[in-house]
Amino acid sequence: MTHNRRFENSAEHQEVCALLPWYVNDTLADTERQKVDAHLGGCAVCRDDLAVHKRILEGINAQPALDYMPVASLKRLQARLDVAQAQTALPPIPPLEPSRSDAPWPGWMAASIAAMAVAIGLLAADRWVQFEVRATKPNYQTVTTSIPRPQGEVIRAVFSPNITLVELQTILDEAQLKIVSGPTEAGVYSLASNSTLTVRSSLALLRQHSTVRFAEETLAEPESGNSP
Amino acid sequence: MTPLAKNSPKERDSALLVAIAAGDRRALEELYLSYHRRLARFLSRFTPRYENIEEIINDTFMVVWQNAKDFRNASQVSTWVIGIAYRTALKSFRRQKNHHLARSLEDYPEQTVDPTSDAEVNDWLKHGLSRLPIEQRLTLELAYHMGHSLEEIAAITDCPVGTVKARMFHAREKLRQYLPALGGGPSELPARIG
Repeated sequence: MTHNRRFENSAEHQEVCALLPWYVNDTLADTERQKVDAHLGGCAVCRDDLAVHKRILEGINAQPALDYMPVASLKRLQARLDVAQAQTALPPIPPLEPSRSDAPWPGWMAASIAAMAVAIGLLAADRWVQFEVRATKPNYQTVTTSIPRPQGEVIRAVFSPNITLVELQTILDEAQLKIVSGPTEAGVYSLASNSTLTVRSSLALLRQHSTVRFAEETLAEPESGNSP
Repeated sequence: MTPLAKNSPKERDSALLVAIAAGDRRALEELYLSYHRRLARFLSRFTPRYENIEEIINDTFMVVWQNAKDFRNASQVSTWVIGIAYRTALKSFRRQKNHHLARSLEDYPEQTVDPTSDAEVNDWLKHGLSRLPIEQRLTLELAYHMGHSLEEIAAITDCPVGTVKARMFHAREKLRQYLPALGGGPSELPARIG
């Protein structure tokens, strides 16, 4: 005990005590590691501390880690980048040159009017484009909206955002389905049959899982040219 | 996948960042995909909501995109990226009013638990971790979950090495007081942590 007290008051003990977390995670330089090794042999206090650090490290790494699928998140980042780039692409209004005329305000006023005209023009063009887009198609898309179907798609499904890749693959294997497209921004996957199992059976197998938020058979596309 | 993939991770990250600085969106996507899993696993230890995790990761990569040209190789790319994620996460966690930060271990000075099995100790440890001050917990997780060295954590958190050591010391002490089953006796704060 006297031996330990002597260590506890030493600068070496304090230094080693502070290095123990990185001794445990194995990131110390060789010289520091050797110093800790040498100290541990004679210091029961540090050996106790070391056991605590090891216990915390084991406890932290015993907790299950969740894996998330990055594709949908990346798509949202890309959308943000598109917006940011579109904003920076707008032409800046050129700086006004100082007027050299005897009466400076008419030149300043003309430049202001020109700048306002450009801004109003841009605003009007933006509104017109938005109107055109709204007029031609809805500003939303449902999972059953008629969009070009990927080759072989028989089912559209949405999974929990917390599902891991392994869980997703297990569910698809069980239902004998494969991904042919997706996920869309709304998280919709297009699935094709991977076997002779009927679509209805695959659908039933999918729906057994709580991580499947939505699963529907893809509606048959109407044939063109048919009269009602 | 670009030809960069066959280089070492450090070389690949550096080359990707140079490309990002030149405005290459594909390089940003490759860097994003290579870091997403690591960052998401780390952040999921602080928040169970994937929306929060995604927001922090995407905010991080917006900063990477905007500031790649300012990276001067003073640290590894991974340390720089994780440092941005650390600061973004810190801001986000502080914003969350319902975060456990509002109730720290110091609010329960008399409370200790005495679990018996390893599984119980792990459960209570998780509980104790969630009640540490956020800077202490982030330091602890950066070392024990992410496996970062002392110097890397100092760079990530933009703090002196002595501050990192002190945060780790206090985190361990609080956990040990809360959870005696971790073992050891109370330590005195070293006169000098540096």
